[in-house]
Amino acid sequence: MTMSSWKSITAAAVVAAVTAVALPAAAQAPVKIGASISMTGTYAKPGIYQKEGYELCVQEANDKGGLLGRKIDLVVYDDQSTPATGQRLYEKLITEDKVDVVMGPYSSAISEAVANVTEKYKKVMVAPLAATTSIFKKGRKYIFMVISPAEVYLEGLVDIAAKRGLKTIAIVNEDTLFPKTAANGTAEFAKKRGLQIVLQEAYPKGNTDFSALLTKIKAANPDVIAASTYFDDAVALTRQMKELNVTPKMYGVTVGGDLPEFYDLLKQNAEYIYGATQWEPTLPYPGQKEFMASYQKKFNHEPSYHAAAGYAGCVLYLDAVKKAGTLDADKVREQLLKLETRTMLGDYKVDADGFQTAHKMVLFQWQDGKKVTVWPDDLAAGGKARFPTPPWNQR
Amino acid sequence: MTPHITPVMLGQVIVSGLLAGALYAMVALGLGLIFGVMRVLNVAHGPLLMLGAYITYFLFITVGLNPYLSLLVSMPIVFVIGVALQHFLVRRVVDAPELSSLLLTFGISIALVNVAQLAFTSDLRSVEFITGAFLVGPFAFSKARVIACLFAAAITALAFLFLQKTRLGKAIRAVSQSREVAQVCGIDVHRIHMLAFGMASALAAAGGSLMTVMIAIQPEMGAVYTFKSFLVIVLGGAGNYPGALLGGLLLGLVEQLASLFLTTQVNEAVAYVLLVLVLLLRPTGLLGGRST
Repeated sequence: MTMSSWKSITAAAVVAAVTAVALPAAAQAPVKIGASISMTGTYAKPGIYQKEGYELCVQEANDKGGLLGRKIDLVVYDDQSTPATGQRLYEKLITEDKVDVVMGPYSSAISEAVANVTEKYKKVMVAPLAATTSIFKKGRKYIFMVISPAEVYLEGLVDIAAKRGLKTIAIVNEDTLFPKTAANGTAEFAKKRGLQIVLQEAYPKGNTDFSALLTKIKAANPDVIAASTYFDDAVALTRQMKELNVTPKMYGVTVGGDLPEFYDLLKQNAEYIYGATQWEPTLPYPGQKEFMASYQKKFNHEPSYHAAAGYAGCVLYLDAVKKAGTLDADKVREQLLKLETRTMLGDYKVDADGFQTAHKMVLFQWQDGKKVTVWPDDLAAGGKARFPTPPWNQR
Repeated sequence: MTPHITPVMLGQVIVSGLLAGALYAMVALGLGLIFGVMRVLNVAHGPLLMLGAYITYFLFITVGLNPYLSLLVSMPIVFVIGVALQHFLVRRVVDAPELSSLLLTFGISIALVNVAQLAFTSDLRSVEFITGAFLVGPFAFSKARVIACLFAAAITALAFLFLQKTRLGKAIRAVSQSREVAQVCGIDVHRIHMLAFGMASALAAAGGSLMTVMIAIQPEMGAVYTFKSFLVIVLGGAGNYPGALLGGLLLGLVEQLASLFLTTQVNEAVAYVLLVLVLLLRPTGLLGGRST
C-alpha cells in the first residue's frame, strides 16, 4: 500500500468520523414549518384563527418531544388576503427560508394560487381551509384536503326538505367561486331528491339590495330557500326577506350563518334559520374536550372551525410524518393517502387526488339563540329541526 | 326560470329602485359638486361615506343616539374632515393634471380604509334600529329604506336650495362655471373649494349614516359607492347638479329592473352598458355637462 492510499483511507476515516458526530447534531436542528396566512385584509379574521390552530398544534407537538426527535419551528407570514402575495411568500419560504415543510394558507382562492408553487417544489401541503373541489382535481400530487367540499354544504337542508315532503326550492348565490360551487352542488342534490328548482340566480359580490331578487322569489313561492352566501350578504338577504315578507318553510345559508355575530346582528330574526358548519365544539368527536380546553387556555377565547381545521390539518400532517418516519415528501404523501382516522374535526379520508371523502358537513338551526345540530342524525344527538318556519312576526 | 312578471312585482321593483336611487342621487351630488367646482374626481368619496356610517354606528352603540339624529353629528364631523383634506392636500393638485388629483384622492382613499380597518377592525357591524316593512296593499316597503329615502330627498333639496338661493351657494356655482371670472368678482376661490369639498363630504357621510340602519357596515363598504356616484354624475352630466338627481334615480331603477327582467348578476353590467350608450349618444350626459 502506498503512502497516498493510506492518506486517502485516513481522510475517509476522518470524514466518516466527522459525519458520524455531525449527524446527530444536524438532527437537533429544528424542523421548520412554513405557511402564509391572511392576517390583514378581508380574510384576516378566519386567517388568524387558523394560525392559532397551527400554533397550538406545534406547541403540543413540541411539548411531547417534537417531530422525529427534532423541535418544530413555525414560520408564518402575512399574505394580506391576496393570492399573488401568498404565491410569492411560499416561493420565499421554500427557496430562501428553506423550510422543511409547508402548511396551507386560508381560503380556496389562495390555496389554489400557492398550490402551483408547492407542487413545483414537490412539497406536501395539507390545505385545511381549501374547500373547492377543482383545486384537488387538477392532477396535483402533493396537496391534501381536510374539510368538506363546497358542494355538500347544504346537503342536509335538501335532505330534511325531501323527507318532509317539500316540493320546491329556490337557490341563490354570490357570484364567486365558492358560493357558486356550493349552489350548484345544492341544485344537484335537489334534483336527485326530486325537488323542483323554481329559481336559481346569482348576485354580484357586494350586492346590498336584494329587493328585485326577493320579489321574484316571492312570486315563485318556493318551499325552501337555499342561499349560498358569505356573511354580509347572508345578513342583508335575511333582513330584506323579513322586509318583503318572504316566508319559505325552510331557509338555509352556507357561510356566515354559523358565526355568533349572525345572531347578534339579526337577533330573533335569525331564529329558525338553518346554517351549515364544518365543525362545532359540541360535536361528539374524540379529543374535542381536550382541544377546547387547551385552546381556551392558550388564547383566552373559543376556537372557530377555522382554528379547529388548522389544528386538525397540522395534527394529521405530523401523524403522517411519524408513520413515514421521515420528512421525505413522497413517503409522507403515501401515508396521507392511506390514512383513515377521526380527529376532533371529524373524519379524514382522501381519494387518490387528496380530495376529502369522509368529512361530514353538519346542518344546524338557530333555536333560542343557540345553534342546535339537526343533521346528520348520528351527530344530531337529540336535536330536532323546528318545522315549518313560522311567519316573521311570530319568531 | 324567471317567474311570470305581474304588475304588482313591477310596481314593487320600481319603488325599490326609486328608494335606492334617491340615496345614490344624494351621495353622487357630493361627488359631482367637487368635480364641478374644481375638476377633481374624488376617489375618496366612498371612504368618507364609510366614516359617516361608523360615526352613526358608534354613537348608537355607546350613547344610544337615534341613527337619524346622528346625521346632525356625522355630517358636521365629516364636513370638517373634508375641509381639512381640501386645505392640506387636495388644494395642491387642483391645477395639476387630472391624473395627479386622481392619484392623490386614491391615496387618501386607501389611507382612510386602512386606518378604519386598524381602528374599527374588519368586523361587520350593524344597527338594529328599524326593521320590517310598511305594507301598502300588495306592496311591502322596507321601513329603513323608505325613511332613508325621505331623509336623502330632504337633504338633497336643502343642498339645492343652498346652491340656488344663498350667496355662498351662488359663489359655488360661479366658481364651477368659471373660476377666473369668479375670482375677478372677488370670490375667495380657495374658501369656496374648501366649502364645496366639505359639503360634498357631508353628503357622503349622510349616505353612510342612513345606510347603517339598512345594511351591515365594514371599512371597505365605500368603494362601490365611489363607482356608483361616478356612474351617476356621468349619466346625468358631469358638473350638472340636477343631472346627479336624474342620474341617481335612473341608476336605482335600472339596477332593480335589470334584476327583475334579467338576473341580479347582470344588474351592474346593465348600468355600465347604459353608461356607454349615454357616452356614445350624448357624451355630455343626459342633462348636458358643464361647458369647458
